[in-house]
Amino acid sequence: MNIDFGPELAAFRAEVAAFLDTAPTPAIREAGRKTTSVFAPFEQVMAWQKILHARGWAAPGWPAEHGGTGWSVEQRYVFAEEYWKRDLPPLLPNGLGMVGPLLMELGSDEQKAKYLPGILSGDDYWTQGYSEPGAGSDLAGLSCSAVADGDDYVINGSKIWTTLAHKANRMFMLVRTSREGKKQQGITFLLLDRVDYPGMEIRPIIGLDGIPEQCEVFFTNVRVPQSGRVGAENDGWTVAKALLKHERGGSAQSPAMYRKLEQLRAAAAATPSPNGGTFADDPVFQRDLGELEAEIASYAAFEKMVLTGHPIGRDPAMPSMNKVMSSELGQRVSVLMTRLAGINGLPLQLSALEVGSGFDPLGTAHDLVAMPYYLNSRATTIYAGTNEVQRDLIARTLPVG
Amino acid sequence: MDFTFTQEQTMLREALSRFLGQHYTFEKRRRIVATPAGQSPEVWGQLRDMGLLALPLPESAGGLGGSIVDVVAVAELLGQHLVVEPWLASAVLSAGLLAKRGETRLPALLEGEATAAFAYEEGSGTADLAQVAMRAAATATGHVLNGEKHLVLGAEAASVLLVTARLPDGRLGLFLVDRDAPGLSLRSYTTIDGRRAAHCRFEDVAAGPDALVDADAEAAVAGAVRAATLALCAEAVGAMGALLEITASYAGTRKQFGVPIGSFQVIAHRLADMKLAYVKARSLLLYTAALAENDAASPRDVSLLKAQVGRLGRALGESAVQIHGGVGMTDELSVGHYLKRILFVDTVFGPSDYHLQRVGAAQPA
Repeated sequence: MNIDFGPELAAFRAEVAAFLDTAPTPAIREAGRKTTSVFAPFEQVMAWQKILHARGWAAPGWPAEHGGTGWSVEQRYVFAEEYWKRDLPPLLPNGLGMVGPLLMELGSDEQKAKYLPGILSGDDYWTQGYSEPGAGSDLAGLSCSAVADGDDYVINGSKIWTTLAHKANRMFMLVRTSREGKKQQGITFLLLDRVDYPGMEIRPIIGLDGIPEQCEVFFTNVRVPQSGRVGAENDGWTVAKALLKHERGGSAQSPAMYRKLEQLRAAAAATPSPNGGTFADDPVFQRDLGELEAEIASYAAFEKMVLTGHPIGRDPAMPSMNKVMSSELGQRVSVLMTRLAGINGLPLQLSALEVGSGFDPLGTAHDLVAMPYYLNSRATTIYAGTNEVQRDLIARTLPVG
Repeated sequence: MDFTFTQEQTMLREALSRFLGQHYTFEKRRRIVATPAGQSPEVWGQLRDMGLLALPLPESAGGLGGSIVDVVAVAELLGQHLVVEPWLASAVLSAGLLAKRGETRLPALLEGEATAAFAYEEGSGTADLAQVAMRAAATATGHVLNGEKHLVLGAEAASVLLVTARLPDGRLGLFLVDRDAPGLSLRSYTTIDGRRAAHCRFEDVAAGPDALVDADAEAAVAGAVRAATLALCAEAVGAMGALLEITASYAGTRKQFGVPIGSFQVIAHRLADMKLAYVKARSLLLYTAALAENDAASPRDVSLLKAQVGRLGRALGESAVQIHGGVGMTDELSVGHYLKRILFVDTVFGPSDYHLQRVGAAQPA
């Protein structure tokens, strides 16, 4: 057992800090402060990715051969800590965290050469076409169909919860290519070079927070090249499961949680409690904050087991356990945020939330984001496989029944 | 002992349910929320015709002499239909306080030609009267008001505001201020649950001798806030009931893996917990309303109710969203709007944590 606290790490920290202090534009910093979802404000976060990419730091988790940093686990934590300390917007997960690692694992050489550079640079944003109105938890029940025709597939059907599809230029999706045998066996994984193929229609969906983050995408006789297929026809379920593994875990999330905790402490010390003093003096709030920190500590330790390849992290239930822990922690944070915001969380403040609007919020910067963050975070126990489904998967790794 | 609604109350509820079911559909409500005023004169006229504007007022003031149970009986249905009209702010809180004086503006309120707003909250988020710090300084001709009031429901559309402020002698004063009085500025917004409210700033707002409605308003304001708290709890319970029904029916029809999702035990037990939460909240609501009708509801009783409704309501609302999955996260479905109505109720006049702490700290009287 070993944790590296060496002096070269301090030098690395100083190098990271110097860059993060100067590189982001004011709009990028504002976008970070106004991030109320896993998905940061689109224009600013993509601009930020390009800046990071120019420095070679867009993908701390990628291997060096594909343009990653090649950092040690310690360095990745240092980077994440310095990143979150400055409230910078988190890079969007779909490309860097999902389809990129998937292509490294299962893509053809041609696909890697074609797509990885754009994923890394931030020139491309990929929306995820998995769920359908009739296929949510039962993802394998999907029915959006692709029929082979010459060198193409012709797609008909619809996809829903395609995050930021209205901002995307590319899409990865699951389609049904066969209705023979088990439903998992007739699925194919496709990469779409465009989201404006003739016959594609995108409808944004407004969420509980009043923000159109999700979309529904309709396909009517949409013709796409078969060269976008990853893996074999009808073997897309294997590909999909490989991708979900990336979606559900494997990055340094805990520094973001510690930053949220720090922000809660600061807000608590600045917010008068109706019981007198501030919330920082309130024994009930102290106890809840203590419980939150203990849960974050466990999660952070678990995450380090995962990133260092410890047997705990090689558990087949790892992605599901990671997803349940991190989503429920985020929700716990969001509830404490709304408790501090109190009645200042009640006004709907979409203009003030917009980056560059110059619109002063009612209440503090913390009050502004608390309620949207709470409302948006209700989705975290639903997407990427509901926590009910995750618990089923965790239970299956135990000797029950 | 009897906690059922009277025949009159039941008839009123049936009429109101019928009206709201036919003329206050979720789509109609969405259109009302999107209008510049955020409320509907037609709906307000209908509520007047059904007697709801007169209901909470004593007969001596031209009202119907309704009780707190009448208010609860109506408010539950308003919550069940996510009504955004300022019935609570104008007809219950403001008109009730004005009725004590035989105010000349009451007829316009009763006729539905005008509304009034109650400017009370100063940021503490509780019903604690000791938190009212806005000052009313004495002048040669009355008083001058300086300070800020948060979350004044229905302020923009109101013709008058009832404002709480500390008098020079330290007692609580209640002032009647024209909405367009010089020195009063409003920053209006829509709340997360679709109501209109405003942040009001008072800069040397002159309040003449007639403007002081009550020079020792502690008891009257406490009573009005208590009634409003019960009404808000009733709204939340109405929302809980609607969510339980909508969610159970969704779980019975939404199929995944070839079967209704309600057949999965994890969903069925979540629904069972939602029902338990609803029954606990509604039982305590009706019991506390009965206590209040007999002037026997202590502040502690009201805290117990507010705590339970906020806590159980949040849990039920979050479960409703979770069971609906992605579609529960959309603005298009009523589910999230019910959750936000419940969050609103939990947040104002003291959230559940605050009330639980008070209950836990104090010996029963």
